[in-house]
Amino acid sequence: MLSSSSSKPPTQQLLQSADLISQGAEAKVYKAYLRQVSTSGLVTDHGAVLEALEPVLLKYRFHKHYRHPSLDASLTRQRIAGEARALMRCMRSGVTVPGIRMVDVNEGVLGIEWIDGKSVRQLLPGGAELEDISELEEADEMDEIHENGTADPIADYGVSRDALMDMIGVEIAKMHLADIIHGDLTTSNMMLRKQTSDLVLIDFGLAYHSTLVEDKAVDLYVLERAFASTHPDSEPLFAGVLSAYEKRMRKHWLPIKKRLDDVRLRGRKRSMVG
Amino acid sequence: METYYYSQFNHAVVRVALFDDVMNAAAIRSRIVQAARNLGVDGNTEREAVNFAFIDARLISSPLHLQTAIYQALLSEAQGQLRTKTVHSEILWALNPTNNITEAIRRYGVSDESTTLIVVRVDVSDTPDLQRRMCDVIQGCMVPFQALVKMTDWSIIKKHYKLDSESALKEVQGNLDRERSIIDNIVVSSVAMKNVMA
Repeated sequence: MLSSSSSKPPTQQLLQSADLISQGAEAKVYKAYLRQVSTSGLVTDHGAVLEALEPVLLKYRFHKHYRHPSLDASLTRQRIAGEARALMRCMRSGVTVPGIRMVDVNEGVLGIEWIDGKSVRQLLPGGAELEDISELEEADEMDEIHENGTADPIADYGVSRDALMDMIGVEIAKMHLADIIHGDLTTSNMMLRKQTSDLVLIDFGLAYHSTLVEDKAVDLYVLERAFASTHPDSEPLFAGVLSAYEKRMRKHWLPIKKRLDDVRLRGRKRSMVG
Repeated sequence: METYYYSQFNHAVVRVALFDDVMNAAAIRSRIVQAARNLGVDGNTEREAVNFAFIDARLISSPLHLQTAIYQALLSEAQGQLRTKTVHSEILWALNPTNNITEAIRRYGVSDESTTLIVVRVDVSDTPDLQRRMCDVIQGCMVPFQALVKMTDWSIIKKHYKLDSESALKEVQGNLDRERSIIDNIVVSSVAMKNVMA
């Protein structure tokens, strides 16, 4: 019935009507609406006023023309599946992550819950530089706020900076206790939700399952480097993250702490000499 | 009755209605079975008369849960990848956590004991008289979709999705609202990612 159309595949049409939020080397990110409802609530003809509710975020892993098409299709499929499964494992383990809304492996699209809020990067000093297309629009808004003198953007969320660091440590600990490694922990990959002030971990594109102390220590080290390079004088902030992490990990903390000290000396990659 | 429009699926129109105090669930079920067996012209009219997805409302945690199953079913149909015979039965398949079609229909479809039902109709355009045709099949009371909250049976949902021992729920023990919102989130996400679950 619906497949008789000669037009583009549905997910391509959906992307066409969506707003581009940001673009990386692997994927493009869009804001879109999966369905419309008629505002009148009555049975209407095609002249009805339609409204789209509940936005979703679409992560579109576009075709990589430098790869053989069949390899490209299978890699895209694996990565979409991997990201969706990592999100599901997190959800079942009580880690706050966006819910999944649609998956189209044929077109390489993962649709997840739209989180209304700001990235931790934007909420901390030094991270305010624009990184995404969408933030250009918000920039004017932010300037106004700064002129009015409310210097600290976190205050709008009713959360102190220390409490925010605490929440980060707790979420990462819950994730590591479930043996999930994020793979790309940065302050851009965490958001504070506007309505509830939840800390939400996002972008599980590089996530994987591992029980190794090494992988957890490297995950923390990557975040430590991200703090140091993005936010000036952030040592006390990251210390706050670690102390909340330590509390939550209990007996699992000591081996990770020891390994983190090793990783700090040698860097993210293990020496393969010897 | 709720109506959803999907411009990306050739402007598909999906109608959803919620019925309470359904008296003839057993009759509906046998009518669907009979219609499927009946060949010829009579069979076609009869099949058209029950051409809906009948869903046990107790197993639906939120409108989003149902909407997500509808979306994945529309997507499978548009891509020629239906796993069941129709887009309506595909909705039932999408709702069930396993790949067993019979189990999906037995659990999520109309059963002899059902008293609350969700009826879904997928169309390429607005079909006239749909509400009357739904009411012709179901002896019950059409209620606003918001009444779904009172019908959801969270313990069966937890059982089907094996959520009882999950740490996400242990953490919020005693807080019913939190627990339900976590269950809903997991269930909605499971439906959305069913194709890549294994």
